[in-house]
Amino acid sequence: MRTMIALVLVLCIGSSSAFGETLEERIKLLEETIKKQEETLKNQQKILEELKDQSKQAKPAEQPPIAPQPTRDYRLDDRSRGIYVQSASPLTPYSLTKQSSTPGLMNPAISVILDTEYYHSTLSQKELQSFSTPGFIGNPQPPPFDEGFNLREAELAFFAPVDPYFNLYATLPVTENGIDLEEAYFVTTSLPAGLQFKGGKFKSGFGRFNAFHPHAWDFVDAPLVYKLFFGGDGEGLIEKGAQLTYLPNLPIYMILGAEVLQGDNDTLFGPDGGPHAYTGFVKSSLDFGDSHSILFGGSVVGGKTNTTSFAPNTVLQGDSVLYGLEFTYKWRPSRWRSFVVQSEYLYRHQTGDLTDTIALTTDSLKRNQDGFYVQALYQINRWRIGGRFDRMAIFADEVVRAGEKLNFSGQPYRATGALEFNPTEFSRIRLQYNYDKSDPNKENQEIFLQFLIAVGAHGAHAY
Amino acid sequence: MIRKCGLAMVCFLVLASPAMAKLNVVATLPWIGSLASEIGGDRIKVNTLVKPSQDPHYVEAKPSMILEVRRADLLMFNGLELEIGYLPVLVESSRNPMIQPGTRGYFDCSQFVEVIEKPAVVDRSMGDVHPLGNPHYHLSPKNIYRVTEGITEILARVDPANAGFYRTNLAAWRGKFREKEKQWGRHNLHGKKFISYHKFFEYLANEFGFEIVAYVEPKPGIPPSAGWVEEIIELAKRMKPDAILTTPYYGTREVTFLSQKSGVKYIVVPHDVGGTPACKDWFSLMDQVLVALE
Repeated sequence: MRTMIALVLVLCIGSSSAFGETLEERIKLLEETIKKQEETLKNQQKILEELKDQSKQAKPAEQPPIAPQPTRDYRLDDRSRGIYVQSASPLTPYSLTKQSSTPGLMNPAISVILDTEYYHSTLSQKELQSFSTPGFIGNPQPPPFDEGFNLREAELAFFAPVDPYFNLYATLPVTENGIDLEEAYFVTTSLPAGLQFKGGKFKSGFGRFNAFHPHAWDFVDAPLVYKLFFGGDGEGLIEKGAQLTYLPNLPIYMILGAEVLQGDNDTLFGPDGGPHAYTGFVKSSLDFGDSHSILFGGSVVGGKTNTTSFAPNTVLQGDSVLYGLEFTYKWRPSRWRSFVVQSEYLYRHQTGDLTDTIALTTDSLKRNQDGFYVQALYQINRWRIGGRFDRMAIFADEVVRAGEKLNFSGQPYRATGALEFNPTEFSRIRLQYNYDKSDPNKENQEIFLQFLIAVGAHGAHAY
Repeated sequence: MIRKCGLAMVCFLVLASPAMAKLNVVATLPWIGSLASEIGGDRIKVNTLVKPSQDPHYVEAKPSMILEVRRADLLMFNGLELEIGYLPVLVESSRNPMIQPGTRGYFDCSQFVEVIEKPAVVDRSMGDVHPLGNPHYHLSPKNIYRVTEGITEILARVDPANAGFYRTNLAAWRGKFREKEKQWGRHNLHGKKFISYHKFFEYLANEFGFEIVAYVEPKPGIPPSAGWVEEIIELAKRMKPDAILTTPYYGTREVTFLSQKSGVKYIVVPHDVGGTPACKDWFSLMDQVLVALE
């Protein structure tokens, strides 16, 4: 090896330098160079050996620190071995990967929830098409179901942490008519002082029922008061906007929130070019012992109104404020038994100009109206039985057009009974009956048989 | 008037905020809270979310729990997805940056556990199978020994001023452990056979050499049907197990029936610290469990 290097060196030096020197001088130079080389090599060898020694000493520490210990077929009655105490190695987690198990490594947690039902009404399809509640929504508001088999939606839901600062949620109900974007929002996780910011398109914090997706409803359909004040199927206030909530460090749970919303809801608000709806809410909760708890609160939402829902061929432009009070009581002594009572009261104050789009006349309009629902559900083992009562115009029933009070239906109401069987927490079969008198001219008796089937990531349940 | 109210509100907020002296530890399950208390002593304040009477699989995320988690300096939980139905919503709603996933305050006790029964293939037709393996490791001395060390280390990291105190307490705990280890070794459970309500005693069975021959639940989390109960009765008559095991929150309705029909006695085994008055801490829980099984 050394001779080889010397040879190479000789060749190199011989071929490159030494211009016009004597042979003796060149040999001398060569000898010196070789000596120097030898020294360098010796030094290098020394370093190599030192390194070898070091690496030998360091070897035990080089083993992967997270490697699982070999499983031992250990029985505690072999107590002489004292196995627990013998390990002197530093404590290391067996696996770090399992902490982020459910959403996979980079994939969001995905779930699909199928919501399908069989529907029957005592009214004909034609009568259902003209079902309306004048004074509240004068336009026909048929139920979202057809006689027979229905597929309300297959809801796709995604969730994943974005980074240490945000979580992202998206809910995309797929219906036969295509894909819808119900919610898509981010929420902060790391703001200080109990603050949280939400942005995107989301279900408003207004009220109690508003927060729930249809598959998490306690009945097939929404409370009447949500249907009549927010329109559509009563899914409530789902808006693009921004939300700030605050959970102060108090002895009791209390949450305060405020939102700025685009105001797209076409019954309560309507297009106005820019954000024009604002909400505020406060909710509090108390526990009584281990199995009783209550949640109560108040909400308000106000904004510019521009809607055609008052009656056919009309446009209402003005301002609306909706106030809400909510109360929930839960008794849940075990997994197999629970009793829940929930109620909400909503009051709407609306003023504006009503334009008849055919006669082209404009009158002033004022509406002060209210409504409420109360529901109770009792669960025993895998069965749950529930009842609900809806009524509008309890304390306030004032519709004034051009200074003249209008009289509509009296008090629209609906009574509901439901029976559920929940094979597991991922499946639910529900039979429901409605007696619906929210159209003064029609009496609608409805029967639903609903199947809710969930697959995919296990979602956590909100209170 | 408004100014007075404001002042009162500010006073209320200031008075209500807790003293900063003690480390706030929130534990999901009673046994975790109990171990944390033993190591943390009077230097920490422990709040336990799940009551000993509750089924740890099905806990509702109550707003009061959100408030507890909001105040936590450290959140300790069982892991292996046992708390998946409520913990994620508590953590996000708590608005507490100190205990979010990925931070050191988000402390998964199962990271120190040699997990058993991790299924190679899993889907929900198998019932409520835990895809990360059996999460009921708290009756496993081998694993709890390590978990307690982990709890000590995280306390020492989050609160370095008291690290020495925590480590001294760990040494004392280990001393007690060695004593108990000898006692527990005297229980002769080797070769015993049991029928269990739920997959709850597998770690214990591995370490103490007994066998779980069947389950009252046809599949994890699925309550037994009449037909299945008949099968279990037949099986109990044939295999003659030592007992049918259940825990307080599953109740005694099914096992009483099974016991009457098969002639095999049933035992209600305390499942967590505080489950019965005698289970004051993890050691006495283990004592009670082993006495019950023998």
